[in-house]
Amino acid sequence: MKKILLLLLFTPLLAYAGESGTALKADSIRAEPFADAKTTGTLNKGDSVNILSKKGAWLQIKSKKSSGWVRLLSVKRGGTSSSNNISGAIDVASGRAGTGKVVSSTGVRGLSAEELKSAKFNEEEMKKMESYAQSADNGKSFASAGGLSKSDLAYFKGANQ
Amino acid sequence: MNRLLVCLLVTAGIFSAHSYALDLNKVLEDAARQEIEKQTGEDKTQPSAAPAEAAAAPASTSEVKPVPEEAKPEFNWKKPSRDEEIALGREITGSILGAAPLVKDIALQKYVNQVGRWVASQSERPDLPWKFGVIESADLNAFAAPGGYVLITKGLYQKLQNEAQLAGVLGHEIAHVVKKHQLKVLQKQQLLNAGASWVTDQFGKKDKLAKAAISNGAEISARGLDKEAEFEADRMGVVLASRAGYDAFGLPEVLQTIGQTNKSDNSVALLYKTHPAPDERLTKLGDSAGSKLDNIKAGKTLENRFYKLSN
Repeated sequence: MKKILLLLLFTPLLAYAGESGTALKADSIRAEPFADAKTTGTLNKGDSVNILSKKGAWLQIKSKKSSGWVRLLSVKRGGTSSSNNISGAIDVASGRAGTGKVVSSTGVRGLSAEELKSAKFNEEEMKKMESYAQSADNGKSFASAGGLSKSDLAYFKGANQ
Repeated sequence: MNRLLVCLLVTAGIFSAHSYALDLNKVLEDAARQEIEKQTGEDKTQPSAAPAEAAAAPASTSEVKPVPEEAKPEFNWKKPSRDEEIALGREITGSILGAAPLVKDIALQKYVNQVGRWVASQSERPDLPWKFGVIESADLNAFAAPGGYVLITKGLYQKLQNEAQLAGVLGHEIAHVVKKHQLKVLQKQQLLNAGASWVTDQFGKKDKLAKAAISNGAEISARGLDKEAEFEADRMGVVLASRAGYDAFGLPEVLQTIGQTNKSDNSVALLYKTHPAPDERLTKLGDSAGSKLDNIKAGKTLENRFYKLSN
């Protein structure tokens, strides 16, 4: 019970908690959320997992065979069904997405390629957009107000480059 | 010089195809003059000496001479200036706004500009006049245009849970601008249709030029970029959000959310048409990141400050 209370307190940090997920790729399952932590198991592509918590770049998961920490980017939230066309069609027929949420079909038309191609320049809206722009200094004070502080991080290259 | 010839050949093709009355000599002379200016580095900002009519008169000789500039600004497709880039972006963005206006909520628009401005300040182009907007559309999508214009749909905004996710989405779009992804597509297209740029030279104003140069502004947004550009923007978006002090994984979270939306849903039709599937993007991002994000500083998500839309 205490654990549940703690979990509730930390809910914002644990947005993933209690969700199911699917491994996007093979990865090592580690005892702790560090790359050099002891390996406790292996995650194979397509494995179903339960997501327990999130910490930095890591997700705490439980698979059929093992439990521990894997890289957040190795796991996709939700079951495998959402990427399956056949079940997708069934989901549409039943008015439900793979997540179990009711699909919103409000009848509002989307922004189609055709609409964009035939769109006419709107000066009035453009002027409005320009009037909402913020200066770099405004951005900085806004960041400070939120307790955001800059950190150094280099871009990383693509996997196949 | 080879390039000039190629351009002329292309020009001729376009002109005949459209049955334009063509003064090839005039085109030749204009083109040559440009070449000369490039070589001599003549200052184009000099006040014009000759009125436009004089320049429009038929060339009397085949001799190429550096005639005085008639203050006829050239849209430099080969190497657009910052102003030209911005004029182009304004044109594209204004057209998207023509299809979907801004959400009438000034507090929301200012909030998105504050977040976006701060993230953009962490990029390699902090001095662009960055502008952000939320547009009235139920779609899940976001757009970037050259010079620092970024739009996000209300549909996508409503899927966001915190400021870090917003920062990630904006970071992805900011990356497109920083890397000039859209601009490069337009340049390639325009240089292929090289002749068209001489036609549009007849306009004087920069935005008019931009308008004429891209027959329809928003068309580029409907066409999309190549996959690699999207993967690159994903990688940079994560880094930019993190540099700004946010949780680095806001963007992947949004990709997760998009991945949970049914593919056949109208709201993701254009997004899926113009972007690789979310699973593929997440996998690529994970492969590229490898161990590089393992020890990343925990950033803020700021869900309490996140501006919530009532409907």
